[in-house]
Amino acid sequence: MPLVAAVACPHTPQLLVRPDTEDRDLVLRVHAAYAKVKRLLAETRAEVICVLGGDHIEGFFLNAVPAFAVYAGASVSGQFGRYAYTFPVHEPLARAILEQGIEREFDLAYSQDVRLDYAFYVPLHFTMPEPALPIVPLYVNVYLPPQPTPRRCYAWGAALRTILDARPERVALMASGGLSHYPGTDRYASPDFDWDRQLLASLAEGRGADTARLSGEELDKAGNVELRTWITLLGAVGPGRAEVIAYEPSWHHGNAVVTWPLTGGGR
Amino acid sequence: MSTHYFFPPAGAYPLNRCLFQLKSDADYRARFLADPETAMDELSLGAEARAALRAFNRDPLIALGAHPYLVFMADLRLNMEREPAAFEHF
Repeated sequence: MPLVAAVACPHTPQLLVRPDTEDRDLVLRVHAAYAKVKRLLAETRAEVICVLGGDHIEGFFLNAVPAFAVYAGASVSGQFGRYAYTFPVHEPLARAILEQGIEREFDLAYSQDVRLDYAFYVPLHFTMPEPALPIVPLYVNVYLPPQPTPRRCYAWGAALRTILDARPERVALMASGGLSHYPGTDRYASPDFDWDRQLLASLAEGRGADTARLSGEELDKAGNVELRTWITLLGAVGPGRAEVIAYEPSWHHGNAVVTWPLTGGGR
Repeated sequence: MSTHYFFPPAGAYPLNRCLFQLKSDADYRARFLADPETAMDELSLGAEARAALRAFNRDPLIALGAHPYLVFMADLRLNMEREPAAFEHF
């Protein structure tokens, strides 16, 4: 069954636990964009959501830092303040991605014991259809250098598409992250919105493959280390023109919600 | 620092461990808020790291090798405990 949906969403926790520093109207506009993704997931009758997320040093600390990992346990849980989540994991699909990914020479790590990061549950809080779907958390290292190269992320995404298209399930693929933000640094209050807008214009023209040629240094400079999850998704999407549902730059974060039409995919 | 996010130096492991636990371990965070000195005794922190954690200012922590994201989120999670009314939940 070919992939049924490809979307990218932000996950900043301020969208969930709005501190008084945030613009409430902007937060609600991002929520409205999430609602469109939720409708898309329902309309496409997705049966499982594979979420490409960058761990915020929550599931993996310095005990092990995988470049790419698949969570292959029965269920997965995470908590942020008063918000606690447990999602069932689609074990047959998780195993297929892991085993076939390894066969295709992507040396994936796997886990059956991580605390789920908010990169996964913040977008799912707002986009999970009813009744709820199982998920497969797919990890891409974004915050602990050395991270995987954009080129490798894109190649893994292309392989992932081949694996997913051959599965019986109706799979939606979601990239969580971005756009420009610099948490913890002296640039937190000045994201690179110009860089984001150029990127979104390029994606809207169907030039997603160009992201594979970005350098890690450029991503770090632009506050877009998390774009690696999008680049992985772009490898799966191929040349389709992105539809930008929303781009809402806040004082610290370029919130973007984007969907892609699905055609051939891969390279 | 030429990049915003850098390889965590091995010598900063206890400091990053402390920040990680403040971020992700609710019990440790509660112990730290109740009695930071005793909570810091649980980890092999040097005198400089302990002083930086007491003051909890970003730049000195990062200068000691703290991961910027861990500093950011440990601070947010501590503030969520100290001032829960400053947050609106959806």
